[in-house]
Amino acid sequence: MADLRPILLVEDNPRDLELTLAALAKCQLANEIVVARDGAEALDYLYRRGAYGERPPGDPAVVLLDLKLPKVDGLQVLEKIKTDSEQRQIPVVMLTSSREERDLLRSYELGVNAFVVKPVDFNAFFEAIQDLGMFWAILNEPPPGGRSNA
Amino acid sequence: MTGASVEACASEPIRIPGAIQPFGALMVLDPQTLACLQRSRNFQDVTRADPANGLDACPEFRDLLPEIRRWRDDSAALLITRTRIQGAPFHVSGHRSSQGLILEFEPLATDAPDFNLDGFYPRLRGFLEKVRSAPDLTAIAQAAVTDIRAITGFNRVLLYNFDEDSHGTVLAEDNDGVLPSYQGLRFPGSDIPAQARDLYRLNRIRLISDAAYTPCPIEPPMSPIDGRPLDLSFVALRSVSPIHLEYMRNMGTAASMSVSIVVDGQLWGLISSHSRDPWRVAPQTRDACESLGQILSLQIEAYLRAERSSARLALKEVESQLLAALAASESDFEDALLDASDLLLALTNAQGAAIVSHDVVRLAGATPPEAAILQLAADLFSDRKEIFATDSMASVWPDAASFADHASGVLAISVSQIRPDYIFWFRPEVVRTVNWSGDPTKPMSAESDRLHPRNSFELWKELVRLRSLPWSDAERESALGFHSSIQAMILRGAEERAQLTDRLERANKELEAFSYSISHDLRAPFRHIVGFAELLSDREKKRLDEKSQHYLRTISDAAHAAGRLVDDLLTFSQLGRASLRVKPIDMNTLVASVLRLLEPDTKGRHIKWRIASLPSASGDVAMIAQVWQNLLQNAIKFTAKRDDAEISIDAREERDMIAFTVADNGVGFEMAYSDKLFGVFQRLHSTEEFAGTGIGLALVKRIILRHGGTITGHSEPGAGASFTFTLPKRPLARDSGAPNG
Repeated sequence: MADLRPILLVEDNPRDLELTLAALAKCQLANEIVVARDGAEALDYLYRRGAYGERPPGDPAVVLLDLKLPKVDGLQVLEKIKTDSEQRQIPVVMLTSSREERDLLRSYELGVNAFVVKPVDFNAFFEAIQDLGMFWAILNEPPPGGRSNA
Repeated sequence: MTGASVEACASEPIRIPGAIQPFGALMVLDPQTLACLQRSRNFQDVTRADPANGLDACPEFRDLLPEIRRWRDDSAALLITRTRIQGAPFHVSGHRSSQGLILEFEPLATDAPDFNLDGFYPRLRGFLEKVRSAPDLTAIAQAAVTDIRAITGFNRVLLYNFDEDSHGTVLAEDNDGVLPSYQGLRFPGSDIPAQARDLYRLNRIRLISDAAYTPCPIEPPMSPIDGRPLDLSFVALRSVSPIHLEYMRNMGTAASMSVSIVVDGQLWGLISSHSRDPWRVAPQTRDACESLGQILSLQIEAYLRAERSSARLALKEVESQLLAALAASESDFEDALLDASDLLLALTNAQGAAIVSHDVVRLAGATPPEAAILQLAADLFSDRKEIFATDSMASVWPDAASFADHASGVLAISVSQIRPDYIFWFRPEVVRTVNWSGDPTKPMSAESDRLHPRNSFELWKELVRLRSLPWSDAERESALGFHSSIQAMILRGAEERAQLTDRLERANKELEAFSYSISHDLRAPFRHIVGFAELLSDREKKRLDEKSQHYLRTISDAAHAAGRLVDDLLTFSQLGRASLRVKPIDMNTLVASVLRLLEPDTKGRHIKWRIASLPSASGDVAMIAQVWQNLLQNAIKFTAKRDDAEISIDAREERDMIAFTVADNGVGFEMAYSDKLFGVFQRLHSTEEFAGTGIGLALVKRIILRHGGTITGHSEPGAGASFTFTLPKRPLARDSGAPNG
């Protein structure tokens, strides 16, 4: 548990961002939280390029990914991660306002690890984030032989 | 007559009999050299000239030869001239053939009437006047036979008209009383074999001046040009079939002449002249008769065309009225047709009509029974018949005899390419007597290896039954015209439907995009309100007074409720679009899991559950779970004020369906408002009393309808409510609620 990898939160809506950050803060996770404001920025982080060209190597513990994003949308980011053998093992949690069945189906087709419809109820949202954060950020060990921090 | 003997008769080589009648002589000349290639054996007897050593060598042909040369070098098809050979006048006619120049010589009586064009003209003009003023076909025919008899001096002149079956009916007769009258009689088609009909169309006049003649052979029999028998198709002296001569003798006639009436390229009729004794008709008289026949043909053609187009015009008027009525009608096409049944019947002058569409029969007037009509439609459809007409259904469908008095004739048009949908018109039986000249069923006998024509021309009455009046050309054309008009209408209808489908699809897509964006964008603000209100309340709890805290809670609750409303609405709209995944559902398991889900709602309540063992049904398990959840949630909610709450779940089988019932003893509702139960946002209780968005039952109904089931609610205020929905036992063939279904 010595090494706490960051959580990558990809969210464009400032209010949702604030609420999510508040929920994560409530969980009192020690992980660093990296925020990307659109899909392109998220990919830059993951591939260590652009503004993130200088960041130390290592995958995030989990990616919390909003579905509707400017530039490159959430499903495209998900597809990119899950079709890249180097990135595929990074857990991705899809956050969405939508209850659209086709988004859910498409996410699972692409290999999403979890899919959370942001509930209206803040407490429910908080619980969901807490569960996810705890599970993926702390309990989830990188796969044996995984390249990160090897 | 057996089939074989008809064939034997039809194969008689009438164009190449190899002989001529002896009332004239024939000679065939080489077109280049004018050498005599063939001639009739009687040539020298008739003309007293011998062309064996060439025409130049015969002083008899001195006058004629230059004329023949001129004709040969000319383009005229025929040579018609007169010459004198050793003082005797001859009529000479020539025509060209691939076998040479064929010349016929006929001696002329010195007192023969001179029917050249000038002499014939006054008579022709008189004939034309009579024909023009004739009120009908019979009068035209009568004028023709009277004239022909006056010109030719035959004992009897008949004009026949051939019907579709080639039977000839005598339309007019002029008779001096020597021979029996055939007025109004019918002659069977077999009297004139097919190849004779063909020849009659081409060569429009022939004469047999003495049925007892001895044929005079042509020598040599084969043409030196092509080695084949000489073709006598256009030879006036052509020898006729011995069977025909026997027929004439049986008829009691020694001489006959017939002139063809050709209308629209078909042999329409014959002017048939007879004489008891041998009778010569001078060639120029025959030419006059042939001209008269051609004029008559044109007159009849014009008359029939005028008659047909005026009939067609009248029916076209009916058709346009009918189409206008159809276009103006708001009913279905079939019902609109039936509403205009007078016009429908008038369209083909029918007494009954039937419209068969999707196996439903609509009737007007006198018709066969429905079952027979459906059978008729199926039979026609299996033969892919677009239009069909008969005046005797019984001859096609023997069973049709049973309703012949209502419908003996039928005219049918197809109105669908893919289904046995037809419009039928019917006509009743018209019993008629046909006066045959002799028994038409025994036209010939084949005795001792040789064919004999019938020998009886005695009146033979036939009672014709199971037949309607025939459908005229104009009536068939009218049906056909109507057929294409409605095809166009049906096509237009299909196009309009396709456009509508297009528009629906577009609207549907827009709706989908709309609800998608709502699901994202409308929910978010409510979530934010709730979230920030909570955050504020957490942060400032200690500093906020009671009132402020209440306001915060109210903000949060209101946003919460609005968010739920959006969620419910979205679920409702998605239900119309989401595809059904229909599988057999174990209802006992499903209900148990839904009840577990509802445990938070039942906590602290005393509810007596009575749950029967439930049969399986088929449906989309997630959607049916939603149905149970909403119905049970309602039952739990509306029994909240009772201490002795009781909720029962029951099922019974109804044929292919299973009916499930959820009943409670809660507050119930007034049946007067039961129609509002399943509407969106329809509430029968105030929100104060019972929370809810007013969408739950609308959702349930939508799900059940999409499964092909029904749902009903029953209640009395204070006495509880029960809801019963049905689901199919086995999956249905199609999704009954799909947007474009």
